[in-house]
Amino acid sequence: MSEPERRRKQNKDKAFFDYTMLFIVLFLLCFGLVMLYSVSSYESSLDFGDSAYYLKKQAQATLVGIVLMFVVMMVDYHFWRKFAIPAYIVSALLVLLVLTPLGYEVNGAKRWLNIGISVQPAEAAKVGMIIFFAAYVCRIGKNVQTLKGVVRTLLLGVPISALVLFITQNLSSAIIIFGIIFMMVFVSTPNYKEYFLLGIGLVAVAAVFVILVQKGVLTSEQSYRFGRIEAWLNPEAYAGTKGFQTLQALYAIGSGELFGKGLGQSMQKLGFVPEAQNDMVFSIICEELGLFGAFMVLLMFILLIWRFLVVANNAEDMFGALIVVGVMAHISLQVILNVAVVTNTIPNTGITLPFISYGGSAVVFLLIEIGLVFSVSRRIRLKNPVKNQGTEG
Amino acid sequence: MGRNRKNINVQKFTGSMQKKLTVLFLLILAAFFGLTIRLYAINRDNGEEYKKQVLSQQEYDSIALPAKRGEIIDRNGTKIAVSQKVYNVIVDSKTLNGDEGKYLEPTLNALFDTDIQFLYTRDELKDFIISNPTSQYRIVAKKQEYEVISPLMEKLGDKAENPNLKGVWLENTYQREYPYGSLACDVIGFVQGDNEGAYGLEEYYNTTLVGTDGREYGYLNDDENLERTIKAPDNGKTLVTSIDVNIQSIVEKHILAFNKEHENEYREGAGSKNTGVIIMNPNTGEILAMASYPVYDLNNPRDITGLDIKVDEEYTTQGNIDIDIAEGSSDDADTSDDAEGDEAGDSVSGNSVTAPAGSDIVEENIEVDKPKTYEEAYEDAKMEALNALWKNFCITSTYEPGSTYKPFTMAAGLEEGIFTGNESFNCTGVKEVGDHEIHCNNRFGHGQLTFSGALEQSCNVAFMDMGAMIGKSLFMKYNKLYNFGLKTNVDLTGEALTNTLVFDVNRMVPTDLAISSFGQGFNVTMIQMISGFCSLINGGNYYQPHVVTRIINDDGATVQNIEPRVIKQTVSKETSDKMVELCNSVVSEGTGKTARPAGYRIGGKTGTAEKYPRKTGNYVVSFMGYAPADDPQIVIYTVIDTPNVESQPHARYATLLTRDILTEVLPYMHVFMTEELTDEEKAELDEAALTFAQSAGKTLSENETVSENDIEEETNDDSVIVFEEQEAEKEKPEYKLDPVTGYPIDPETGAVLDPDTGQPVDPTISDLE
Repeated sequence: MSEPERRRKQNKDKAFFDYTMLFIVLFLLCFGLVMLYSVSSYESSLDFGDSAYYLKKQAQATLVGIVLMFVVMMVDYHFWRKFAIPAYIVSALLVLLVLTPLGYEVNGAKRWLNIGISVQPAEAAKVGMIIFFAAYVCRIGKNVQTLKGVVRTLLLGVPISALVLFITQNLSSAIIIFGIIFMMVFVSTPNYKEYFLLGIGLVAVAAVFVILVQKGVLTSEQSYRFGRIEAWLNPEAYAGTKGFQTLQALYAIGSGELFGKGLGQSMQKLGFVPEAQNDMVFSIICEELGLFGAFMVLLMFILLIWRFLVVANNAEDMFGALIVVGVMAHISLQVILNVAVVTNTIPNTGITLPFISYGGSAVVFLLIEIGLVFSVSRRIRLKNPVKNQGTEG
Repeated sequence: MGRNRKNINVQKFTGSMQKKLTVLFLLILAAFFGLTIRLYAINRDNGEEYKKQVLSQQEYDSIALPAKRGEIIDRNGTKIAVSQKVYNVIVDSKTLNGDEGKYLEPTLNALFDTDIQFLYTRDELKDFIISNPTSQYRIVAKKQEYEVISPLMEKLGDKAENPNLKGVWLENTYQREYPYGSLACDVIGFVQGDNEGAYGLEEYYNTTLVGTDGREYGYLNDDENLERTIKAPDNGKTLVTSIDVNIQSIVEKHILAFNKEHENEYREGAGSKNTGVIIMNPNTGEILAMASYPVYDLNNPRDITGLDIKVDEEYTTQGNIDIDIAEGSSDDADTSDDAEGDEAGDSVSGNSVTAPAGSDIVEENIEVDKPKTYEEAYEDAKMEALNALWKNFCITSTYEPGSTYKPFTMAAGLEEGIFTGNESFNCTGVKEVGDHEIHCNNRFGHGQLTFSGALEQSCNVAFMDMGAMIGKSLFMKYNKLYNFGLKTNVDLTGEALTNTLVFDVNRMVPTDLAISSFGQGFNVTMIQMISGFCSLINGGNYYQPHVVTRIINDDGATVQNIEPRVIKQTVSKETSDKMVELCNSVVSEGTGKTARPAGYRIGGKTGTAEKYPRKTGNYVVSFMGYAPADDPQIVIYTVIDTPNVESQPHARYATLLTRDILTEVLPYMHVFMTEELTDEEKAELDEAALTFAQSAGKTLSENETVSENDIEEETNDDSVIVFEEQEAEKEKPEYKLDPVTGYPIDPETGAVLDPDTGQPVDPTISDLE
C-alpha cells in the first residue's frame, strides 16, 4: 500500500458514518417491501393479474432512491446552500406545472406530473423547503429570534403551502410542509411561551370547527373536509360511505390482538380496507403482526428520529443541523399523522407512512433527504474517536 | 470549523437550539407514546367486536354451492320428480356505487334488457342500490331458468364488451319439478321452503334426497396468490321406486272417471268422499300404484282452485264476498254445500273415517283457540282443506274394513284346524248375540250354506258363527298376527297408528267378536288390509310394503338395494292355497262376479261396511282382488268412501272400478287372457280398444320424451311433452285389441303389438311364465 493511499484510508477511518441509521433505513425499506407485498398482492392480482405489480414498481423506486441517497451523501451538503432560492422557485413551479397538460389526476385529485416518470411535486417541495429554510434561517442569523423574524420566516412558508393546498388539493402535504417549517423555526428560536400560545390557538380553532360540524352548522355539503370530520366523530354512522375506510382500518387493528394473525394472514386486505397498500398499510401491519409488531415498527421510527437528533446536535454547523431538523420534522410528522389517521385519532386525510406505504415519489425524495442527513453526519468531527469505535466500523 | 472551507460566516448549532431540539424530540416521543396507548385501547375496548366484524364480513367471500336434490324415478326409469338448475340474480350495491356510480346505469340497462322476472321494478332497484350503499348481497330475481338467464350470463362473461356491467352475479340453485303434475301426488309428496320434503317419499326420504351443500372459498395460498377452492356439493341420491307410471296413470284415470261420473249425483260434490286404490306385488310387497281422490298438482301444491273451504258458520255471515274476490274462486269458497257429508264423526282433519261401535274410542276433538277475524278463520279453514288434500288416504285414513276382512277370519280358523272346509251354516237373516239382534246383509237369510258358499255370499250370520267357533282370544291373536293395530312401516310419511282403534281382547264382549268376524267395529288402513291380504294368498309370507326398491347416487351407482323383506309368517302354505281357492270362487260364483275383467280369471272379496254413526246410509264399499287367479301376480285393493249415490251399500261400485282398472293393467303387465270371451265382451273390448290405443300411444310418447330428457336434462320443458303427445296421437293409427292377449293389433300386418315398445311380439312368450 502506497503512502497516499494509506493516508486516505486513515482519513476515511476517522470520518464518522452512521451505520446505525443506515441499518434502520434499510431495515424499514425491506420491511416496507415485505409488508407492501403482503398487503397489495390480493388487490394487484385482481386488478393487474400480477400479485407483485405494486411490489415491482416500489422496488424499482426504492433502488433509484438508494442510488440517489448515496450520490447525495457523497456531495458536501453546503453545495445545496447555493441553490436555496432556486429550490424555492422550482418547488413552486413544479406545483404549478400540475395545471399544465403535464399534470394528471389520480383518484380525482390532480397531484401528479408526468415528466417521463410520475412525480408528485408536493414530495419534491418538501425537500426544497427543507434546504431553503435551513439556508434562510442561517442567512438571517440572530434575526430569526425576533418576533418579526419568526413571522417573516413563517410567512415565507405560506405561499408554497397554499399552492400545495389549493392547486393540488392536498391538505396533508400542505400541513406537513408548513409543519416542517414551523418545527425548524421552533428549534431555531429560544422561546417557548409563544409557541405554547400558538399551539393552544391552533387547537382552539380546530375545536371550533369540530364543534360547528358537530352542531351541524358546517356540513359535508359545504366541503368534503367537514364530511371527514363528521365521519371522524362517528365512523359507525357513516360505515358505508365516508367512514368506511376508517372503520375497516379499525376492524383490522382491533382484530390483530397482541401478536397478530401472522404475516400474510390479514383478512381485511382482501378488498375491505381501501388503499390498504397506501395510507392504510399500518392497519394491516397491526392485523398481521399485532400490537407487538406495530410497536416494533414505531420503535424503529423512534430510533431513526433519535439518530437524527444525535446527528443534528453534533452537526458541523447550523445549516447542516437545520437540514437534519427539517428531515426529522418531516418523517416524524408523517409517521404521527399517519398512525393518528389510521387509528381515527384525527380526521381522515391522506398521509402515507414513510418507507412502507406504496408511492415511488415519496420513497425517492425521502431517501434523498436521508442522503442529506448522511452527508451532514459524515462531516461530524469525532471528539473522542476511541469511544466511538463501535460506530466507526 | 469546516475543514475544506474557511468561512467566517459559519454558524454553530447553539446550545439553546440543541436544547429545543431535544424538547422537540421529547414532544415527538410523547406523540408516539400517545398513539401507542391509542392502539392498545382499540384492541382492548373493541378487539372482540372488531374480530367478529372481520369474520362476518368474510362470509361474503364464500359462496354456498347448493346440492342437487335426488330424483324420484319409477320402476322403468321414468322421472317423476326432478331438480332443475335455476338461477338467482344478486346485486352488489357497494360495487355499483363505486367510481362515482358510473356502473349503475349501464348495469341496470343490461339487467332490464332481459326477460328476467325481477322482484323489483327498475326504479325500485335503483332506489335500493342508492340508499343501501353497503349492501353486497341482495337477491333481485329468484329461480330464473337457464333460457331466461343465459343472455345476461353471456354479457357477464364478456368483460371487454361490457366494461361497465359490474356488481351483479348469479347464484345457482335447484327447483323441484314434477313432469307428470299431479300423478302419484300422494306417494311422491312435494318440497317446500328450504328444500324440505313434505308428505310422501319427499318427506320420508328427505335426508337421502337432500344431499349436502358445497362451498366455494376465496383465500390466499402460501405463495400469496389468490385461490378459490371448491368443496363440491354432495348431491342427493335418487330413489328408484316400484311405482309404474303407466299403471299409476291407468288407476288415476279410472278413479277420476268414477268420481266424475257420480259427481253431484245424490248430493253436491265429488263422486265419493274419497276413493283409494293400491296395486301391490304380493310376492315382494312392492307397491306398483297407489292413488286416491282428489289429487293436487305437485308443481303447485298450494293451489286452492276447486278446493272446498269450509269456514266456521259464525264467520260466514260477513266478508264472504271479499274473500271470494281475493282468492278469485267464488264457487269454491261457498260454504253452504255438502252439509250432509260433513256430519260429526267424519272430521276432515281426523284420521278416522268412522269411530268404531262398541269400543271406547272417542274422536279426538282438538280445541284450537278460536280465530278472531273472518280472514283468520278463512286461513285456518284453507290450511285444513289443504292438509286434507295433501294427506295420503291409502295410509292415513282409517275405516272399518267390512266383509273384505272375512277371508282373514276364515284363514285363522283354517290355520288353527277349527275349520275343515266341510262345515255348513244355516242363515235365517238374523243372529242374536248377547242382547242384540245382528242382521245379515240378506234380511231374508241365505238358507243353508257350504263353507265356500258362506264366503261367496258374504253371509254375516255364517261368519258370526265362525267367529264364535274361533273364540275371542284366537281371533285377536290372528288379528294382531295380520298386523292390525300395528304400523306396516311402509316407507311413506303419514301412516296412521291404529293401536287404539282395534279391540282389546280383555274387554271384548260377544257382540264385539260377532261384528268383528265380518270386519266391523275396528279400524284399519288400506295399506294394512292389502299387506295382510297379500300374505293370505302368497303362501303366508307377510312382506313389509314398500315403494323404494333401490337408492342410487349421482353417478348412477347403486348405494342401497331394498330387498323384499318378509316380516312374519301369518298362515301356512296349505291355508294360503285354500284361501286362493275360496276367493277365486267368490269372483266366479259369488258377490265378486262383476270385478272380473273380460278374458281373465281373478279372485277376491267384496266389502260393504256401514259407517259410523250407523243408520245414516253411509258406507265404505271396497273390493280386494288379485290376478291371475291361479298364480297371483298383483293384488288390487279398491276402497270407495261414501259413494255419491242414492243407495250406497253395493260393492258393485268398487268391483266395477276394479274391473275397469284391471282390464287395462293386466294386458299392460303381459298377463295373458285365459278365458273364452263372450260376444258381448268382445264387443265391449272392441269399443274400449279405441281409448286403449290412444292411451297406449300416449304412454309411448311419454316414454320417448323421458328418454330424451335423460340425454339432455336442461331442455326439460312441459311444452315439449305436450307437443310430442299431439304428434304421437296424430301419427298413431287406431288399433284394435287382440281378444286373446288384449294387445293392440297392427291393422296393416295383423301382428300383435307390444303396448310398451310398439314392436310385434311372439304371443307364446309371456313375462309371467
